Amino acid sequence: MIVLEKVNKYFYKGEPKEIHALKDISLTIEDGEFSLISGPSGCGKTTLLNAIGALDNVDSGKIFLDDKNIAAMNEKERTILRLNELGFVFQAYNLIPVLSVEDNIGFIMKLRGFSDKEIKKRVFEVAELLEIKDKLNALPNDLSGGQQQRVAVARAVAAKPKTILADEPTANLDSTNSEKLMAMMRSLNEKEGVSIIFASHDEYVMQSVRRIIKLNDGALVE
Amino acid sequence: MFKVIVKLAWSNAFLRFSRTFLLVILIALSMALMLSLQGIYDGMTLNMVDKTIRSDCGEVSIYQKGYRLNQVLSNNIKNADAILRKLDHDPNVKLAIKRFSVEGLSSTARKQSFANIIGIDLKQEERFGKFSLFLTKGKLSFENYGAIIGKGLADKLKVHIGSKVIFSTQNAKGEINALYLKVAGIIQTTNINIDNFAIYVPIKRVYDFLGVPHDEATQIAIRTDNEAFIKTLKKEYSNLDVESLLDLYPMLKQMEDIMAIFNSITFAIVMLVVFIGILGVMYVSILDRIREFGILRAIGMPYAYIRLQIFLEALFVGLIGYICGAILGYLSLKYLHIYGLDLSAYSAGLEKFGYSSIIYANIQASYFSSTFYAIISASLLSVLLPLRKIKNLNPIKVIKANT
Repeated sequence: MIVLEKVNKYFYKGEPKEIHALKDISLTIEDGEFSLISGPSGCGKTTLLNAIGALDNVDSGKIFLDDKNIAAMNEKERTILRLNELGFVFQAYNLIPVLSVEDNIGFIMKLRGFSDKEIKKRVFEVAELLEIKDKLNALPNDLSGGQQQRVAVARAVAAKPKTILADEPTANLDSTNSEKLMAMMRSLNEKEGVSIIFASHDEYVMQSVRRIIKLNDGALVE
Repeated sequence: MFKVIVKLAWSNAFLRFSRTFLLVILIALSMALMLSLQGIYDGMTLNMVDKTIRSDCGEVSIYQKGYRLNQVLSNNIKNADAILRKLDHDPNVKLAIKRFSVEGLSSTARKQSFANIIGIDLKQEERFGKFSLFLTKGKLSFENYGAIIGKGLADKLKVHIGSKVIFSTQNAKGEINALYLKVAGIIQTTNINIDNFAIYVPIKRVYDFLGVPHDEATQIAIRTDNEAFIKTLKKEYSNLDVESLLDLYPMLKQMEDIMAIFNSITFAIVMLVVFIGILGVMYVSILDRIREFGILRAIGMPYAYIRLQIFLEALFVGLIGYICGAILGYLSLKYLHIYGLDLSAYSAGLEKFGYSSIIYANIQASYFSSTFYAIISASLLSVLLPLRKIKNLNPIKVIKANT
C-alpha cells in the first residue's frame, strides 16, 4: 500500500520563478490497484509519479511504501527501494541498447541476485505474456516501438515488484500498440497482482484503468 | 551480475568503434614511441658501459697503488701471474686478463702524438671483450710488427693500414727506446682514452721492449657477474688498487642518471598524452550515454555497479591499447636492437661524448611492466572525472532531458 500525507514539492524554491508542483497531496493507493494519475500537461502527474517512485525528493510531507517513509530516505536507500520494490516503464522505453531483449528483461533480476535458472524461467514466462518470446535474442534497436515498450514492461514486471510506475507508456505508440499494451498490462495486473500506476493523459490508458486520480495545478481534484 | 557488467562494459567500449579504434591507436603509438625512446636512452648508456667494460676495465680492475696517478714503470703489479692464477680458480671470475701499458710518443714521418702502448694477448682480449667487434679497418694481427691502433690516434697521425709508426718511451733502465710498428688494424671503441691514444701490441713485445719481467702487469681486468665480489676483491687485495667500473668511470654513472631523468620525463609526457586521450574519449562516451546511466540509476542499479562498468570499459580500452602498443613497441625495439638508430649525421658530437653514432636499443622486460602499470593506471584514473558526473546525476533530469 502506498500512502501520501500532505506531500508538497516546489521547483526553483525561493526564486522568483518558484513553482508549487505538488500541493498538500494526501492519497492512498491499495495493493493491486490499476490506477491512473491524470490531468492536463504540467499539472504535476510525472512529479507525483516520480515522488512515489523514490526518484525525486519532496519538500514536505510523507510518502509511505508499506511502512517505509520514502521521503525520509537518502539516495542510497531509495536506490535499494527502487531496485527491490518498484518497477518503472518510461515513455521512451529506455532499454539498454547493447543487451539482448532477454538480458534486458532479466536485468533487474540480475541486479537483485536471482539465479540464472530463475531468471531464464521468469523471462520466458513474462515474454510469453507480452508476446515477445520470439524476440528474446534480438537487440532493442531491431524492434518496433510497441515491441520495445513491451520489453520495457517485461523488464519492470520480471522481478515481481510490488508496484510498477508507468510514465506516459503509450505516448510514443500508435493506437493499435497502445491498446495492445494496455490490455497486456491489465492482464499482468490481474494475473500477477502487481499494482500499476500510470501517469498519462492518453485516452486508451483512461479507458483501461480502474481508478483515476485527477490532478490540477499540482492539487488533487478527486 | 559481474558477467552482465562485463558484457555491458565490453559492448559499450566498442559501441563507437571508430572512436575506440582511434583511442587504441593513440595508446599503442604513444606506448611504442615511449618503449623505443626508453630502449634508445638505455641503449646509449648501456652501449657505452658495455664498450668500456669490454675494451678496458671489465667490471673491476686491479692496479698497483698509485699507478693511476703516476703511470711510471716502477708502479706495476709485480706478481700479476700469481694473482691471475688465483683469480682463474675463483668461481666469481668469468675471465681475468693482464695488460701492460706505458705512455710515450708515437711518430710517423710527418706527425707525432702522445700515445699509450698497451701490451695484450689478442686471444684473451677476444674472450674478454670480443675485441674483433671494435675493428673498423684492417685485421687483428700482430704479425710482421703489426699493431692495432685507435681510430682517433690514426686520424691524428694520418696513418692507414700498412703505415709505419715509431713509438718511443723510456725503458726500465731509464733509456729512451723505440719500437717499430706497422698498422695492421684500426679500432674504434667509443672509449676516448683508447680511441685517441691506444696502440695495441703483443704483451711479450712490450715486456722485451721495456725490459720488465714477464709476470708484471699494469692492469688486471676482471669480468664478473657478482657485484659483491668487488668488495671481496678490495679486501683481499688491500695492498693493491681495486677499482670498479664506476670508480674508474664516474661519468658513466652520471650518464645513467641523466638518461634515467630523460626516461622519466618522456614517460610522464607520454602518459599524460594517454591520460588526456582516454579522459577525453571516456568523458564524451559517458556524456553520450548519460541517459542510459540515468535509467540504470532510476531502475535501481547501485552506483558501485556503474562505477565497475565504467572502470572495466576504461580497462578494456587500456588493455587493448597496451597489447597493441606492446606488440608495436616490441617490434620497434627489436628493429632498433638489431639495426640500431643511425645518427651518423651527429657522429662527431656523439663520439666526443663517447657515444656510438649508431645506437642500438636495449630491450628489458621492465619497460613492458612499467608501461603496463602506467597505462592501466592512466586508464582507470581518466574515468574518475566522468564517474563524478554520473554519481551526481539526477536520473529524472537526464531521462526527461533526453526524452
